[in-house]
Formats: sequence, structure tokens, C-alpha cells
Amino acid sequence: MARAVTTQRKLVYTIAAWSVALLIFFPVLWTILTSFKTETSAVANPPELLSADWTLENYAEVWGRTDYPRFFLNSVIISVGSTLLGLLIAIPAAWSMAFVPSNKTKDLLMWMLSTKMMPAAAVLIPMYLIFQRTGLFDTRTGLVLALMLMNLPVIIWMLYTYFKEIPGEILEAARMDGASLRDEVLYILTPMAIPGIASTMLLNIILAWNEAFWTITLTTTKAAPLSAFIASFSAPQGLFYAKLSAASTMAIAPILILGWFSQKQLVRGLTFGAVK
Amino acid sequence: MANTGLIRENQLSLHQQRQRAAFWFLAPMLVALFCVAAWPLLRTVWFSFTDTSLNDLYGGKWIGFDNYLRVQTLSNGAVRYKGTLVDPNWWNAVWNTVRFSVVSVLFETILGLIVALVLNAEFKGRGLVRAAILIPWAIPTIVSAKMWAWMLNDQYGIINDMALRLGLITEKMAWTANTDTAMYAVLMVDVWKTTPFMALLCLAGLQMVPRDIYEAAKIDGIHPVKVFFKITLPLIRPALMVAVIFRMLDALRVFDLIYVLTPNSAATKTMSVISRENLIDFDKFAYGSAQSTLLFVILAVFVGLYIWLGKVDLSGESGK
Repeated sequence: MARAVTTQRKLVYTIAAWSVALLIFFPVLWTILTSFKTETSAVANPPELLSADWTLENYAEVWGRTDYPRFFLNSVIISVGSTLLGLLIAIPAAWSMAFVPSNKTKDLLMWMLSTKMMPAAAVLIPMYLIFQRTGLFDTRTGLVLALMLMNLPVIIWMLYTYFKEIPGEILEAARMDGASLRDEVLYILTPMAIPGIASTMLLNIILAWNEAFWTITLTTTKAAPLSAFIASFSAPQGLFYAKLSAASTMAIAPILILGWFSQKQLVRGLTFGAVK
Repeated sequence: MANTGLIRENQLSLHQQRQRAAFWFLAPMLVALFCVAAWPLLRTVWFSFTDTSLNDLYGGKWIGFDNYLRVQTLSNGAVRYKGTLVDPNWWNAVWNTVRFSVVSVLFETILGLIVALVLNAEFKGRGLVRAAILIPWAIPTIVSAKMWAWMLNDQYGIINDMALRLGLITEKMAWTANTDTAMYAVLMVDVWKTTPFMALLCLAGLQMVPRDIYEAAKIDGIHPVKVFFKITLPLIRPALMVAVIFRMLDALRVFDLIYVLTPNSAATKTMSVISRENLIDFDKFAYGSAQSTLLFVILAVFVGLYIWLGKVDLSGESGK
């Protein structure tokens, strides 16, 4: 009896959860479907689903007209590069904040939060000036640096909350056994914090991958990543919806695949470690 | 005796050594933070007190508060006020931003909690559902805004088609172009994009709540609604407060969604959009800098109040 009730309840939850998921996922699904339709079929009225003309032509055309592999490569280099460089700076900093706390820690956190109080357009011009002067404009190095700087507060904030969960006694014990500071950070702390570091890394790769404002303004052609690729498809407002959908699908596919395989780490990462 | 003294001395130097290391470990971050947080801010604030133009970024002259408020006495004795602080367009943008942020964050938090409660239950295909729900957040706004513009299209859009069939509307509407509905369209897309993010934050919070608390409440016969408000909510409150502040800061600076979905619509123009317009599109660079500075001040005051009134502990010490 009780078992029957539980099964029934489970069924209700399953249906509810799947409905919510479908509702949320629908716009993405619709875009992917549209990308496989012919242009006429895409704008058919009423919208066609089963009766549509299916084709791969949109992908062929987008692929032929643009240099997708270069955009893709730029995206990979910029998002992975900025994340790794960010971690290199963030891990020691987070160690300091978590294990050698001072009364300045709160001020530092507040300062990091203040980076989210300026409109991007206002930060843009000072950065643009620096980029023009140093020759970093439209280079991968420049974008790696820019996105690292943008995301560094988030990286440090996340790592700091993870590190704080690690009991300081373990590090102390290692020190008593004669471990140097380098050993302590490199061989004790880092391996213990691997899950947290992995989540932070994933989250920041996605943030960097999706960043559009900076990547579009600080590049022209050479270093332009996929966000610039998608922006270049905005011009024709007319009957190019299927091609726009195909380009969109191509831009988001890598991140969807990455997110799919790592959703567990991501969910953990998204909590910013704020929950214990 | 001498031995302990030696150890203490060693520890002391070790302690000092760690203090020194901590400083050097922080140094690169401080430099980076200065580049991203202090320098652009100081520069923008400085620009806002000058008459700098985009064509001549190094040639601005100091003009004091004129970009904010300038009192002019005309020859006939009438007094005229100029500047951002008396600009109706600016105050319209402030109102739009506040309206957008409060409504979107409120909806996202409530819906996020509901979705999280559903997802926290046991059901088939949890991993798959969670991945599907995460997707809207993981898609660049520039892509999702275009996706929605296409779905909301007045002629070919599937939203009009569905709403028409369900009898919700009597004729097809230009959701994003119509001034009455533009804000609803923007809100809807933002809620769609961000609710999953809030849901996952809430979900992570919910999963940390020990199961035996629920068991105990069940045995005591406490109503589930009461359990939610008296047990669940207080326990996930710290996580929720931090999530809300991050969300709120993003919402108050909303730019790309509105820029792509409802370009040039006064009904949805926010502080970020109007300041960018002045900074880059119009030739009013210093004026836009003044607006950016005001935006920063408004947000800083908001964060201060929020942390003070909500007793939010950013470093998370109280959780321990």
C-alpha cells in the first residue's frame, strides 16, 4: 500500500520534472529543428513540424561562407587560456585568504564584488585605450588577458569558498611533517581541492566562451571567437532564419556537449561553494 | 625546556614566513584587481568631470559637475537646469532598470525555488533533466536573444501561433516592437534564461539539508508547507541571499538581452543601454561617463543596504 503510494508519487514527480524540462528546453529544440529546415519551410505559416522540408544545406552554406574552424579555435584558446591563467593567479590568492585570514579579507571580497557594479561599456574605453597602446588589440593574447581579468573575481571567490571547507589542521599536519609552503599548496591543498578547482574551471570556460561584449569590441578578424561569428549573422533580418539557426547551433554545440558530460561538476560549481 | 623554546622560535618564524608568503600570493591578484576594478572606475569617474569626446580622448578639460547638473541663468533672468540629473531619459532608464530587476529577480527566485523543489524529489532521468534545464543558462545571451526574437516574430513566430491556437490572443502581435509588451517580452526571456540558474543554486542548497530533519518533522506530523517555511527556507537562506545579490547586480546592469531583443525601444531602455548609447553611439562621451558613474553609485548603495539590512555575510563565516 505504502509502496504503491510512493510509486505513484514518483510518477507524478517524473511527469512534473520532465514537463518543466521540456518547457525550458523548447526554444533550443526549436532552433535546432529550424536549422535543418529549408528557408521557405522555416517561415511557413502556420509553423511546420512534421511536414517540413528537411535539409543539411544551411550547415553546408554556413560552413562554406565563413571560417568556422578559426572562430572555433580562437574560442577554445581564449576560454581555456584565460581560465588556466586565472587559476594560476587565483589559487595562491585564495590560499592566502582562506588560510592566513586577516581583517582585510572582507574588504577584498567587497572589492571583487565591486567589479560587478560598473556597466561594461564604461570599463570598455579605459581598457580599449590600454589595448591600443600596447598592441594587444585583436590578438589572442590580449583577449586571454582581458577575459582572465574579467573573470578573476569570480574564480577567486569560488576557490576561496571551496578552500575554506578544507580543514586547516590537515595543512598544519603536513607542515609539522616538514612540508615546505610550496609542497603544502602544490601537493596537499591542490589535490584535495580538485573537485572545486574542476568546477571553477568548467564554469569559467563557459563564462569565457559566452562572453560577447568584450570579444566583439576588442577583436576585428584575427582573434575573433564564436561570439563574433554569431554576431556576424545578425545583419540579414529577412528570410535567413534557417541559416541563423544553423549558425547558432554551431556556436552553442561545443558548449552543450561539454556541459552535458560535466553537469554534475557544474551544478556543484554553480553553487559558488556558498552552500555547505 | 630549551627545546620547547627552540620550537616556539621556529613556529614564530614559520608564522611570519606564512604571513609574508600570503602577501606575495595576493600580490598578482591585487595587481589584476587594480587593472579591472580600480583603474577603469577611476578613469570613468574622471572622464565624467570633463568634456572629453570620443574623438579626442586625451584632450578633455575639467568642467566640474556640469555633466551631472548645470544651472544656467539666461539673460532674461530665467533659470535653466541641464545635465543627467534633470534628464527625463535618464530617469526613465533608471525606472526601467529598477522595474526590470525587481520583477525578474523576484520571479526567478520564486520559480527557481519551485523548480528546485520538484527536481529535489526522486524521479526517473534526473541527470538528463538537470542537464536540459542548465542549457538556457549555458547559451550565450546573444544567441538566445536572437532565438527568442525569432520565436516572438509577429509573422512567423511560433509563440504567436501557439497563443492564437490556445485563444490567449485574438490577433498576432509584435511583442518586442510594441511599447506595451516590450518589457514583458524582455522579462519573459530573462526569466527563461535565469530561472534554471537560480533553480540549480536552490537545488544545491536543498541537497545539503539533512534528510533526517524531514523524517523528524514527518514523525511529528508537521504540515509540509510549515516544514518548508520553518525548516527548509531558513536553512538555505544564506545560499539564497548570495545568489540573489549576484543576480541582482547582473539584472541592474542588464545590457545585451535588451540591446538585441528590443533595440532603441524607450520602454525597455536601461541604465547600461543608455550610458553605452551616450558613450559610444552618440557623441556625448563625458555625459555617458557621468551616467556610468551614477550607475556605479546606485549599485554600490544598493549592495551596501542589502548587506546591512539582510545581514549577509559575504565571507560565509556565519555558516560555520
